[in-house]
Amino acid sequence: MRKLWIPGAVVALIVLIAIAAPVLPLMDPIRQDVANRLAAYVPGSPMGRDEFGRDVFSRLIWGARSSLAVAFASATIAAVIGTALGLLGGWFRGVVEFLAIRGADVVLCFPPVLLALLVVTLLGPGTATLILVLSVLYLPGFIRVSFAEVLSARSQDYVEAVRALGARTPRILLRTVLPNIAGPVLVQLSLAVASAVVLESGLSFLGLGVVPPTPSWGLMIRGARATMEQAPMLLLWPCLALTVTILAMNLLCDAVRDVADKRGGGGAKKLRLVDRLLPGLFPAPAAPQPLLDVQGLTVEIATPGGIIRPVEDMAFRLDAGRTLAIVGESGSGKSMAATAIMGLLPPAARVADGVARFEGDDLLRMPEPARRKLRGGAMAMVFQDPMSSLNPVHRIGDQVAEAIRAHRDVPAGKAAAEAVELLKRVGIADPERRARAYPHELSGGMRQRVMIAMAIANRPRLLIADEPTTALDVTVQAAILELLAELRRAEGMGVVLITHSLGVVAEVAEDVVVMYAAQVVESGPVAEVFARPLHPYTRALLAAVPDGDIEPEGIPGVVPRPDAWPPGCRFAPRCGFATEACATPPPLEEFENHAVRCIRWRELSA
Amino acid sequence: MWWLARRIGISLLLMWVVATIVFLALHMVPGDPAEMLLSTGGAMPDAYAIAELRERLGLNRPILEQYGAFLIGLSQGDLGTSLVDDYPVAEEIALRLPRTLELIVAGTLLAVAIALPAGTFAAVRQGGAFDRVSSALAAVLQAVPVFVLGTLLILVLAQWLRWMPAGGYTPFAEDPVRHLVLLSLPAVAVAKGLAATIFRMTRASVLDALSRDHVRTARAKGLTPQRVLRRHVVRNALIPVTTVLGLQMGTLLGGTVLVEYVFNWPGLSTPLLRAVEARDYPMVVGIVITVSGLFLLINLAMDLIYAALDPRITRS
Ligand code: SF4
Repeated sequence: MRKLWIPGAVVALIVLIAIAAPVLPLMDPIRQDVANRLAAYVPGSPMGRDEFGRDVFSRLIWGARSSLAVAFASATIAAVIGTALGLLGGWFRGVVEFLAIRGADVVLCFPPVLLALLVVTLLGPGTATLILVLSVLYLPGFIRVSFAEVLSARSQDYVEAVRALGARTPRILLRTVLPNIAGPVLVQLSLAVASAVVLESGLSFLGLGVVPPTPSWGLMIRGARATMEQAPMLLLWPCLALTVTILAMNLLCDAVRDVADKRGGGGAKKLRLVDRLLPGLFPAPAAPQPLLDVQGLTVEIATPGGIIRPVEDMAFRLDAGRTLAIVGESGSGKSMAATAIMGLLPPAARVADGVARFEGDDLLRMPEPARRKLRGGAMAMVFQDPMSSLNPVHRIGDQVAEAIRAHRDVPAGKAAAEAVELLKRVGIADPERRARAYPHELSGGMRQRVMIAMAIANRPRLLIADEPTTALDVTVQAAILELLAELRRAEGMGVVLITHSLGVVAEVAEDVVVMYAAQVVESGPVAEVFARPLHPYTRALLAAVPDGDIEPEGIPGVVPRPDAWPPGCRFAPRCGFATEACATPPPLEEFENHAVRCIRWRELSA
Repeated sequence: MWWLARRIGISLLLMWVVATIVFLALHMVPGDPAEMLLSTGGAMPDAYAIAELRERLGLNRPILEQYGAFLIGLSQGDLGTSLVDDYPVAEEIALRLPRTLELIVAGTLLAVAIALPAGTFAAVRQGGAFDRVSSALAAVLQAVPVFVLGTLLILVLAQWLRWMPAGGYTPFAEDPVRHLVLLSLPAVAVAKGLAATIFRMTRASVLDALSRDHVRTARAKGLTPQRVLRRHVVRNALIPVTTVLGLQMGTLLGGTVLVEYVFNWPGLSTPLLRAVEARDYPMVVGIVITVSGLFLLINLAMDLIYAALDPRITRS
């Protein structure tokens, strides 16, 4: 808000002074007094006199008046006509649209100053000419903005609703659509005013704008150039006034735009980072040294409302060659835990506690360069959305080769050949040709195969796959899962598979960790957990979701947000077995290779 | 290729639209164009002069015939002669255009060379000292009108410090060093607005690119931070920067007119401003069409660069 307030106050002050110029006790700005030519100071003239002996201070203030009058007049005219054209064009389409939009395009074919000079040639310089030219120049901006907004407003529910009620077109446009496009039009208006001040002063400086002796900042600078050696202040005052005015207007424009953008609903993004979480569980004591051993992993995010913990006390163990599934609804923290282990947390999030030992070394305390060598080398990750996760401007062969060369010192040609091999390995037909394609030229399934090729480029021992099939067609999902399973067998990798689909878990995983609201609620071998679920949440998942997909509404209610967790058992609000005892946080109880976090699990499974 | 042909076709079409608008401009003004061009102040121009000007501009002939002659002349590079001294407009432009082009190219290169790295660095160290100082500087530079900056440069560097000549021009063949010295200040002035805009845009789009999924993928590959920045952040961030660069070119060309005037750089703006004042219609039309054509050409070039940077454009 401060960003809006300060430049807003400066602009308001300048505008007020300009409006008040006639009633302020100023000297006549155009009265000449040759005796006091270039005088640095004359009583009543704090800034001295100009080359004709006119009072500089008074000319500065009257100059603001003429600049702003031209700027506001032309911006307002452009706004009214442009918005009307845009509204009509967007509403009626057809011929009106053609005329409005093409007309705007034509104006944009000319560099603005040149178009202005052409018109000045025809009509002669003067304030009226200036206003005419400037309003024409700013028309396209208003036409385009309002046109685009009307198009999107047209299809929106509230407009559909009033249309269905039988409201007439002019009424809809004025009462319903116009208020909703006011934001963007206001932004455009502030931009036009700021830009008009610049153009007006430039043309006046060339002697082709405001006609002397009317005071104008551009004209004052023009006049002072000849005498800049004797009287530099004469030059500096209008330069300063002009620059400060434009600076304040620009800052105001930025602030107005920010405010308008925010209203457009940018707020959702921050919460999404925040509302994921993942608990973990204790695995069976198997090999002496597990491939990945995570204990007490806790991730914190500082938000304006305080610190939240999207992952709390997460733990699991993965042995080489096995597949562990982490399952949970959106917002359970499962993805956040995986990114924390890889060291790819977004800047706002940090690991607050815990260890994650990869082959005995704690990833969370490793210096970044050492960790970078592991990333994409011994441990690799496949992400959910293969479209956005591939760089759209590089060929896929290059992107795979880049993964190779990040870790091995091989010549470019050899890396390229190896990339083609990898593409073939992940089942891409015609890999030589596909290596030269760009991501947008491939299907979703193929893009995910490319992501997998990149991940296995350096024969990783650990592969973390974060919802690798969620963004894909059902038919492709099975093929990708099969590919992962096949690679795991062939390469002996350990795989952590993050998913919200119990069907996927049953199909490919040996162990499972069930997460709810940042915590592990149950974990154990898949066969055992599925046959004999101990936690009411796991039961509900298995029972209520015949197709094995727990999103979007397998269980009534949603995962609470990280800033609003119940004080006791976090599942209590949705739990059919909740009692008063559940108001104290249940501990994670571990026994043999199974673990569960529920106070009543014994009586419930009896 | 088909895309390229289509894009060039659009440019030619726009060129024709520009020429037509300029032609019509004279006929759209209220009253008699010849009388209006000759009128100064309130005095009624001499009837004989009006008749003569009508004859010269061909205003006596039917409008379609005039339009046809205008387009034919244009396609042959014939832009008529000056009303002031009968000098062929095309020759005047041929003499001056290279100097204007030199200024534009120098200014653009300067702006890109400074603002791209600075904007990238500011984004990578978001909130750091460099970011804050350079962002503030960019905001101020954006607010100083180009002629104010030019005039102040002259006041400080030429008048007070006497490090630089105040302006002027020496052909490169005559004295290369002096040519470049004289070029430097106008080039800085031309560069300033563009540099401020490129800086802000680069900073914003690098920040945006840094948060993209594919950057996370690049980091997941274990690439060095430098390589992530170069291949996966800056490369992608250049795409929106190119768009803005194209949009800014109109402002740049207008700014060049002012800069040439401030520094006495004998490019197109000298004859243009003289002609606007003398209401030398053919000269103004010739220069406006030339510069607008240049503008369309630059935009075409920008589209090509854009397409080269973003494979999604041409191929889909
Ligand atoms: S602790 Fe209580 S509320 Fe929580 S899962 Fe168990 S029975 Fe349900």
